[in-house]
Amino acid sequence: MIKVTYVAHDGTETVIEAEEGTSVMQAAVSNDVEGIVGECGGSMMCATCHCYVDVAWEDRTGQRSDDEDEMLEGAASEVTGRSRLSCQIKLDPSLDGLVVHLPEEQL
Amino acid sequence: MALAPLDGAITLDQLSSDPYPIYRRLRAESPVLRVASTGRTLLTKAALTEAVKDNPELFSSDDPQTPMKPAFRAHTLMRKDGKAHFVERKAISKALTPTRIKTDWGPLYEQLAEDYISRLPRGETVDLFTDLCGPLAARILAHILGIPEASDAQMMRWSQLLIDGAGNFGWKPEPFVASDAANDEMDALFAELEPIRRSAPDGSAYSLMLTADDPIPMSQIHANIKIAIGGGINEPRDAMATILYGLLTNPDQLAEVRAQEAWDKAFEEGIRWVAPIQASSRLVTEDTELGGFDIPKGDTVMTIQASANRDEELFEDGESFFVFRDKNPHQAFGNGPHHCAGAHVARRTVGKIILPMLFDRFPDMTLPNPEQVVWKGFGFRGPINLPVVLN
Repeated sequence: MIKVTYVAHDGTETVIEAEEGTSVMQAAVSNDVEGIVGECGGSMMCATCHCYVDVAWEDRTGQRSDDEDEMLEGAASEVTGRSRLSCQIKLDPSLDGLVVHLPEEQL
Repeated sequence: MALAPLDGAITLDQLSSDPYPIYRRLRAESPVLRVASTGRTLLTKAALTEAVKDNPELFSSDDPQTPMKPAFRAHTLMRKDGKAHFVERKAISKALTPTRIKTDWGPLYEQLAEDYISRLPRGETVDLFTDLCGPLAARILAHILGIPEASDAQMMRWSQLLIDGAGNFGWKPEPFVASDAANDEMDALFAELEPIRRSAPDGSAYSLMLTADDPIPMSQIHANIKIAIGGGINEPRDAMATILYGLLTNPDQLAEVRAQEAWDKAFEEGIRWVAPIQASSRLVTEDTELGGFDIPKGDTVMTIQASANRDEELFEDGESFFVFRDKNPHQAFGNGPHHCAGAHVARRTVGKIILPMLFDRFPDMTLPNPEQVVWKGFGFRGPINLPVVLN
């Protein structure tokens, strides 16, 4: 199992354990983490699973694809260099302990 | 395994007039059911409808049996999968993002809502379905798309004719004659406006598609706008009417919504309770199974979002309109690659602008005879009248 910490906009931390191969979005949705909607189910069509990768982890979560970049343009909250669509981050053992921060709003 | 049971009793008329008791029974007894009158295998549990839409390889949108092609005179993105769908979707979705809607278009939407709401007469009985929901939805969409030169009446007529054609499963000639005429009118307007939207980019869908670095073909630009006309008026119109009905028949909830300014919650609950798009079709590409039954390649399954949204496994008393649910994981906007491209626009315009403005202007609005409201539709559903007294 891989541990992920979600830090809400108000600072509340939620720690969950997820199976390898699931996405950061799926892990949040199946554990009822507030602040990730993921309405399209991971098809990169809705931009409601926006997160900011913690600075300590940004080298390990990989690069945004061009399509992800374009979809992020539509996110409801500010997009920064550490913005990702959490459906596009797949959990593997190298991400055990991952910390992501959640935006103020997704819709 | 066996094929799903075959039902010969359920009629299209029943599904159109009052489908919810049927869906409730099917969720309990036969969540995978071949319904002869529809020619489809109906899926009525949330887990099944979600799984089908999340798996476009196995459950394709590219259904050659659909009358949508002649109705739109195009193979549209609604009926494509994979990259082909993604490219055309991306071309138009740039006009529909939250940032664009909030910052660029917000003030215009507010102005339009104000124009349409302020002309409603105070103290009289008004059918909000015909006098507000439809025309305002049409006006907002015309601006988003970049064809504000089209009148409300034109937008609504084109929309209905496209829908009638796309739903013409009996392949009768008349609906296609009518949709052809609508297509001619739309094509003529698009052609007339093209040079203007090109030379003076305005952030509208048409303008963005025309001026993109790597534009999609003109035939698909037209098809995308038509899909948005066919699919972007009825849904916000019906959502608005449904939410108003829900709030006006539950005054306690309305009072609490006003106190908390929970219009966004009211919006989500309305479209959960009676989803404007109730059902979608997917073509099965390989032999598979669903809910313990064989589903053969070539079968067409129908996901019933209307039923998924009342699934007892996800919702307590899903048959009732209750704004203040703890959670509301409805599928009214669908899921998977074809997740509604207009979701952000609808939430913004209906949920954040129109509802609060309407109740602000008419705080004592009532629906004196809810039993006079007629609900209709199997694929698309909502009230077809909403006689309220505006005060």
